[in-house]
Amino acid sequence: MSSSDASPVARTPAWRRGGPIVVVGLALLGLWALLSLTLDALPGPAATGAELWQMALDGRFASIFARVTLFMGGCFAVAAVVGVALGLVIGSRPAVDRGLSPYLAALQGMPTSMWIPVAAIVLGTSPWSLAAVVSIGAMPAVILGTRTAVKNVPPLLLRAGRTFGADGGTLLRHVTLPAALPGIMTGLELGWSIAFRCLVAGEIFSGALSGTGIGDVIQRSRETGDITEMMATILIVLAFTMLVDRLVFARVQHRLRVSRGLVDAGLPH
Amino acid sequence: MRRGPSGCGKSTLLDLVAGHTRPARGSVAVDGSPVTGPGPDRVMVFQEHALFPWLSVADNVGFGLKQAGVPAAERESTVARWLAKVGLTDAASLHPHQLSGGMRQRAALARAFAMRPAVLLMDEPFSALDAPSRDRLHVELQELWRETGTTILFVTHNVREAVALGDRVIVLSSGPGRIIGDVRVSLARPRVVESERVVALAQDVRRLLDAADQLGIAAPRGGEDDHVVI
Repeated sequence: MSSSDASPVARTPAWRRGGPIVVVGLALLGLWALLSLTLDALPGPAATGAELWQMALDGRFASIFARVTLFMGGCFAVAAVVGVALGLVIGSRPAVDRGLSPYLAALQGMPTSMWIPVAAIVLGTSPWSLAAVVSIGAMPAVILGTRTAVKNVPPLLLRAGRTFGADGGTLLRHVTLPAALPGIMTGLELGWSIAFRCLVAGEIFSGALSGTGIGDVIQRSRETGDITEMMATILIVLAFTMLVDRLVFARVQHRLRVSRGLVDAGLPH
Repeated sequence: MRRGPSGCGKSTLLDLVAGHTRPARGSVAVDGSPVTGPGPDRVMVFQEHALFPWLSVADNVGFGLKQAGVPAAERESTVARWLAKVGLTDAASLHPHQLSGGMRQRAALARAFAMRPAVLLMDEPFSALDAPSRDRLHVELQELWRETGTTILFVTHNVREAVALGDRVIVLSSGPGRIIGDVRVSLARPRVVESERVVALAQDVRRLLDAADQLGIAAPRGGEDDHVVI
């Protein structure tokens, strides 16, 4: 630790934090190259890279990336806000909990992509119908995660909150919500991955449902039998999910843990 | 100061005064006004510090003031004053997990005193601390009490702690809970648990408990007997 660093928690240098990620990435690329040598139908990293470059030049890369960001961002924001709000209510009211939780658990256990044909018929084959399925599909996981986190809040903290004048809404906002936040984050991450599965399931079901362009790529790969563009699109989606995890979920989780004393000082994340 | 059914244990008694629980029979009144629910005039200090782990020490101390709608500037100065009184000024921006056990309980004391309660309810606040921290906090609590004149209802299993801190030691027996002794303590302050006169008086109180035990009034055993200090 440098002498100028007053904090007792040493900051891990960037190369030590980023190093393992790069090493594992290169190893995976090598594995992929080996596999593509033995499997004729599988395009290798070089061909996929060239296709990615082509997609970057003609704007397909940016288009898919931007539309995935917009679509997932919008749908997930709705699912997160409604889900956390409902979860807080359900978690703090036992009667509501007893009535709703079994149905929510059933909904969460069921593959949400089963709703896609229903939505396509009832709401029509538009991106809006897919958006509805993706938002509502992510909601049970968020609601149940929040509800469980609320139920796991230590009663001592609620008593402390009440003794210092918090009550009803203020108790929920100033004590229950922050105390439950780590658990709520877990529910949100689960909801996020369910939303993404649901989105791609919709794109596979029908290119007409496509909100992001992934469905168009699937359609073209089906017709030509060449999956180079598909592999390139998979890489774009991988990059997207990795960015979201590193920049949003991992950071928030880390900050929550640090502020609650759940990280041994100085250990790299 | 306290009325109501005495079929209650120590935590129930504090809960009744705090307004977390309602009595099955009888009533609870503080300064003549009946208790109907939790209020800022009656603040509880718990056995575990019960600080909010996501807030800094300063925000923890200011939590009750914020709930009471005290403006930010006034809140800050009040928080700073109480942090100084308990010796935690340097720790204001730290989180509870970065403090020692004694410092956490000090922060909890500051959070409670900052509310200027009429009655401070303390539920074995020092029983989880190491002996040196506990001894220091005994002295500090007596100073804070002298400065503020707050009525303190202090529950403890430790007879010497009760005699060292209390003006009045009320001895409760368990199962069924009833008052088996009411001892006035008029020794000079600040008192420490090791002082001879505290030890001697504590032995008298201990004999009350033993006598009750032999009469079969109650079966206070080990950690089951409660001593309430007012």
